[in-house]
Amino acid sequence: MIVPFHHLLVLATLLFLLGLMAVLVRRNLIMILIGVEIMLNAAGLVLVGASALWQQIDGQVLVIFLMALTSAEVSISLAMVVYLNRRKKTVDVRAFDELRG
Amino acid sequence: MDSRLLLLLIILPLTGGVLNACFGCRLPRQMRALLAISSVLASFVLTLICWPLAADGGTQVTLFTWLKSSGLQADIGLFFDPLAASMTLMVTGVASLIHIYAAGYMEYEEDQARFFALLNLFVFAMLCILLADNLLLLFLGWEGVGFCSYGLIGFWYQKKENALAGRKAFIVTRIGDLFFTIALLWLFALLGTVNIAEINLRATELDPLLITPLVLLLLGGACGKSAQLPLMTWLPDAMAGPTPVSALIHAATMVTAGVYLLCRLFPLVSLSSVGMATIACIGAATALYAASCALEQREIKRVLAYSTMSQIGYMFMAVGVGSVAAAINHLLVHAFFKALLFMGAGALIHLAGGENDIFKMGGLKQKNPFLFWLFLIGILCLAGAPLTGGFFSKDAILLTAFSRGDGLSAILWGVGVFTAGLTSFYSFRLLYLVFFGDYRGDKSAHHLSPLLIWTLPLLALLGLFGGLINLPHFYGGSEMLSHWLGVAPALELPLPTEIGLLALMTLFFVAGWLPAHLFYRKYQPEAETPWRRFLLQGWRFDALYERVILQPYRFVANFCWIGGDKALIDGVIEGIGRTLLHWGGYFRQLATGQVSFYLQGFAWGLLLMLGWLLLKAVT
Repeated sequence: MIVPFHHLLVLATLLFLLGLMAVLVRRNLIMILIGVEIMLNAAGLVLVGASALWQQIDGQVLVIFLMALTSAEVSISLAMVVYLNRRKKTVDVRAFDELRG
Repeated sequence: MDSRLLLLLIILPLTGGVLNACFGCRLPRQMRALLAISSVLASFVLTLICWPLAADGGTQVTLFTWLKSSGLQADIGLFFDPLAASMTLMVTGVASLIHIYAAGYMEYEEDQARFFALLNLFVFAMLCILLADNLLLLFLGWEGVGFCSYGLIGFWYQKKENALAGRKAFIVTRIGDLFFTIALLWLFALLGTVNIAEINLRATELDPLLITPLVLLLLGGACGKSAQLPLMTWLPDAMAGPTPVSALIHAATMVTAGVYLLCRLFPLVSLSSVGMATIACIGAATALYAASCALEQREIKRVLAYSTMSQIGYMFMAVGVGSVAAAINHLLVHAFFKALLFMGAGALIHLAGGENDIFKMGGLKQKNPFLFWLFLIGILCLAGAPLTGGFFSKDAILLTAFSRGDGLSAILWGVGVFTAGLTSFYSFRLLYLVFFGDYRGDKSAHHLSPLLIWTLPLLALLGLFGGLINLPHFYGGSEMLSHWLGVAPALELPLPTEIGLLALMTLFFVAGWLPAHLFYRKYQPEAETPWRRFLLQGWRFDALYERVILQPYRFVANFCWIGGDKALIDGVIEGIGRTLLHWGGYFRQLATGQVSFYLQGFAWGLLLMLGWLLLKAVT
């Protein structure tokens, strides 16, 4: 392996935290979705790295699945964003609090 | 003859009642009354047919076993012996006449089906008491009588007083029933059987110490049903029911049940001298008490109610001094003339346009002379006019008391004779106020159905000649009833004593009649004195019970309600609820509806888990 595994883990952790921060802090629905994507990719990165480290193909297979899943998820969530935007004329997440107790 | 015919005796009124209860509303009006009358009448005819079965110690017949578990066996079984037979004949006969009378009396009543259903069930329950061969079936009838009386006394329940009177009758008799229940269970515990014949047979096996409380408990039950002191307050109020119901309660069913119970269990009862003395004393005290109350009553039916109580007191006295025959004889004759008086009173109330107050009646002799003669016969029997049925039966009781010769019996006898005088006075007071003078009411007479009059002559005859049933040897009779019941005939007293007693009774009869004749032949308004009010209100027993029993009871009930239920139980449960609600309010704020807030929670949780794993890895 050219890149040491540690570096890869640090990079993945950073990516994950960035994504998490985006989800928690941003109020724009689209930005939150992007944060989720980033977190997923961070997980994918670890899988690919681990697969290369232990010379096992499973991790890479899983990443392929993950990509398919992510694309499906994105298409659905974007459709929902469009729908929500149509309802309240905004994509601010604070507007959608009907589940408040 | 097939002894199973006896079962039809109780099944017939039951069927009539059930049919009327289930389908009565769909039947044509005449059919309801017809159904009720025919079922009771058929029962009466059947009693006559079955009469020979009662001879030679009676017939026992079992339909099926009702309850059976280790040691306890109660059958739906009937025991038809001379005592039960004579009572059954009287009950079905008088009840038939009352049913026919009721068909006329309730002609325009809205709710006929309910009335006749209850009336039939009433007779059924009474027949259960009379014919039961075990105490449990007897108890079924006992409770059935209580229930039916409740339904019938409160028949016009739209008026609150009527409903309350029904409730009072139910509750007061229920107090008596409690004693009876205890006695029943105790007898079962001691003897291991509830069969009446067996209990009577094995009564001598019982510990003599236990018999007295047992007898007193039975007496308590009998007092409740028969309206004796101190459980008598329900009877005058029971007048709230329709008149046929009053007639039925007073003559055939209900109040005679207590006397019958004591007669039925007489072999057991007679073993306790204390118990017997108590029975006699309660009887005499009630006779005197009720007669004194009857002196000042203003409502025609209340006068009769108190007179019933007084006469039942005589029957208790007869049982107490040990003469079942005298008690049953008086019971039978009393049933005839009391049914006559009540049914006559119903007709009189119709004649006076629904007026109950005898001070607003008067002059009814001119309106219906035939009714006057019939009522006069009833009054003569009640007052104990010589040679009427009531005279002989009452005389037999007093004679038995007199011939016992001990001090207590002498006092009882004295009370009985004095009460006879009072009875004569209030009977004639009633007669004079209702029939003589001018009509003082302002209501016009209702239509009088011929059924209301023509059921009476038969009862009048029976009442008048009822003395022949048990005519003593002294008058040339043969004491038929005593022989039939298989009990010892009355003691023979020396001739001068007999004549002396006869003269004394006649004297007291006249002594009662004379003042009534003097005071009430010509009506004059009476001033209300405290003494009169005291008697009118039945010695204020209602007020006494109100203060001694009901008020403490209400206080305790209120305390349990306010203090126990509301404050303690509700307080604890509602307190828990309120606490949860309060804290729930805080926790609710966590659910903001913002997804990022929830995810923040996830993140903190993740951090915590990682920290924990790190800590474990380090250590």
